[in-house]
Amino acid sequence: MARKVLLVFSLGVLALTGCRQSGSGRKSIAIITPSHDNPFFKSEADAAAARARALGYEASVNTHNDDAHKQDELVDVAIANGAAAIILDNAGADASVAAVAKAKGANIPVFLIDREINANGIAAAQIVSNNYQGALLGAQEFARLMGEKGTFVELLGRESDTNAQVRTSGFHEVLDKYPGLRLVGQQSANWSQTEAFQKMETLLQAHPDIKGVIAGNDTMALGAAAALKAAGRPEVIVVGFDGSPDVLASIRAGSIKATVLQPAARIATMAVDQAHALLTKGSSGAAEKQSIDCELVTASNVDQFGVFTRK
Amino acid sequence: MSTHNEVIRRVAPAGHHRINDLLFRLRALVALIVLVIIFASLSPAFLSSGNLMILVKHVAINAILAVGMTFVILTGGIDLSVGSIAGLAGIVAGGLINTGLVLPAFGVVVYFQVWLVILLAALAGSGVGALNGLLVTKFSVAPFIATLGTMYVARGAALLISNGATFPNLLGKPELHNTGFAWLGSGSILFLPVPIWLMAVVGAAGAFLASRTPFGRRIYAIGGNERAAELSGVRVGRVKLLGYMISGFCSAIVGVIIASQLMSAHPATGETFELNAIAAVVLGGTSLMGGRGGVGGSIAGAFVIGVLADGLVLLGVSQFWQIVIKGVVIVVAVLLDQMQKRFSWRERSS
Repeated sequence: MARKVLLVFSLGVLALTGCRQSGSGRKSIAIITPSHDNPFFKSEADAAAARARALGYEASVNTHNDDAHKQDELVDVAIANGAAAIILDNAGADASVAAVAKAKGANIPVFLIDREINANGIAAAQIVSNNYQGALLGAQEFARLMGEKGTFVELLGRESDTNAQVRTSGFHEVLDKYPGLRLVGQQSANWSQTEAFQKMETLLQAHPDIKGVIAGNDTMALGAAAALKAAGRPEVIVVGFDGSPDVLASIRAGSIKATVLQPAARIATMAVDQAHALLTKGSSGAAEKQSIDCELVTASNVDQFGVFTRK
Repeated sequence: MSTHNEVIRRVAPAGHHRINDLLFRLRALVALIVLVIIFASLSPAFLSSGNLMILVKHVAINAILAVGMTFVILTGGIDLSVGSIAGLAGIVAGGLINTGLVLPAFGVVVYFQVWLVILLAALAGSGVGALNGLLVTKFSVAPFIATLGTMYVARGAALLISNGATFPNLLGKPELHNTGFAWLGSGSILFLPVPIWLMAVVGAAGAFLASRTPFGRRIYAIGGNERAAELSGVRVGRVKLLGYMISGFCSAIVGVIIASQLMSAHPATGETFELNAIAAVVLGGTSLMGGRGGVGGSIAGAFVIGVLADGLVLLGVSQFWQIVIKGVVIVVAVLLDQMQKRFSWRERSS
């Protein structure tokens, strides 16, 4: 028993020192995002890692699955490994403040991407896409496609999520001004494709005459489009939000009419560039709060866009 | 043991006792009828044939999972991996259709016909189920822990296979002879959607297996008293293994149906499905201790959850209330279960 414990212990120490050695020599950048099963987060992590490696850094990529506690542990690991900078798509505007402050206390600059935190002056930068401006863009296009009249339903994101609230208020800022447009159903599908499919099928039963669906993100738009296709209603207008590659393909095919592209890959690259500038020149050369505009993608301009960025 | 029960049942409950007992045992059905009456009176669209068909189609997903879960819970086990297996099976099917089976050793890519794709996905699901069964029986890992582990492993495997991405447009290609995958999720036979037929077949097969075969009696015997079953010659390990394989198979069917409905396979499909399936089984009157309950109850339980979910959407109730109401219904069902136990215990001791 004692020998086994010793063996396991020494193996552990060996593994740890191994990690340390491989990390030495080059500076490393820790990239922490939500789960990569959403292509949005995967592409921002991939873009950040690619730019970091191109600039000569080691890139360590991890996911916190929107769990603030796990995020906290990953920040601890980054501090322990002596990361030069952290690129973070955080796990909650309030719940992440302490983790960012902890890294700052350890003299590691944190560059927030995609989501802000509810505190200023502790992150080196907060670079987010302008969700509200994007929602206005999407809603204006939706109103135009609807011919400014008719009934529609709205699929909301997870209602506890800031972006879900910002997007829906942006949608309504525009749509509520058109007297001819009438919202007949509003349901949360929790950003999920499966849930959006089922909710859309049920909503169609309650409101068989709807003319359009506006969704808080692209996965829900895909679920709604699949349900409409199955119900023999492919003419219903679907508009999403995010600009995922799957929806760009659907826009080409015509089953989804428009989406709003968040330049996630570009934001991630910008964050790494600013981290590099801060580490080499002592200044990132940009303000802390940076808001990057979203872009409208429709059938007429879809070929100008790639994976979460303009080509 | 069973004869002892029979005698008491026949002698003790007379008059309203017997009716109470019956209402308790069929509580999922009673709850279902009450819910249907409430929703039908509040929403004119609820009882339309179109809505009922879609409702049953939605229920089918959870009901098929619950049938498999019933076999595991009847032995006193639990299967937390069903949602992940559904996700993995969907990804296996999606991958086989879109990119084929790549064999680098031979430098070839093999594409399968759709029925073979479905079979292979079902095999993958049963395989994870067999792994659950082996961990529980051969290595004596507690079912909760073993299936918690495979829950993560299967989810990770799904993410690895697809590299985190979605397999989109599962239409197949005519030149590869693998078209027609959409039929499983959105096709219909005799005006009824295919998923409803699948639920009927899985439910009937499950009910037959549980109540009319030696295998079923062994499942109940193990749940009632595992040691006694073993001593009377039941091969406990083998029976349990089969139970977990059935659950894995059912989960795989669900994963393939969802991928077919959405015409795309996403690795995160099926998150928290295990909780819905367990809720349906418990609502249906199967004891988490094992040995008591059945497949029919679980299907009724799945209907209660499904009617609640769709009915509240139809009425336009907010998401937050939907979650609260679902939780309340589950807790009430378990409270009834406790009351029933005390009720029958009092009867037996009197």
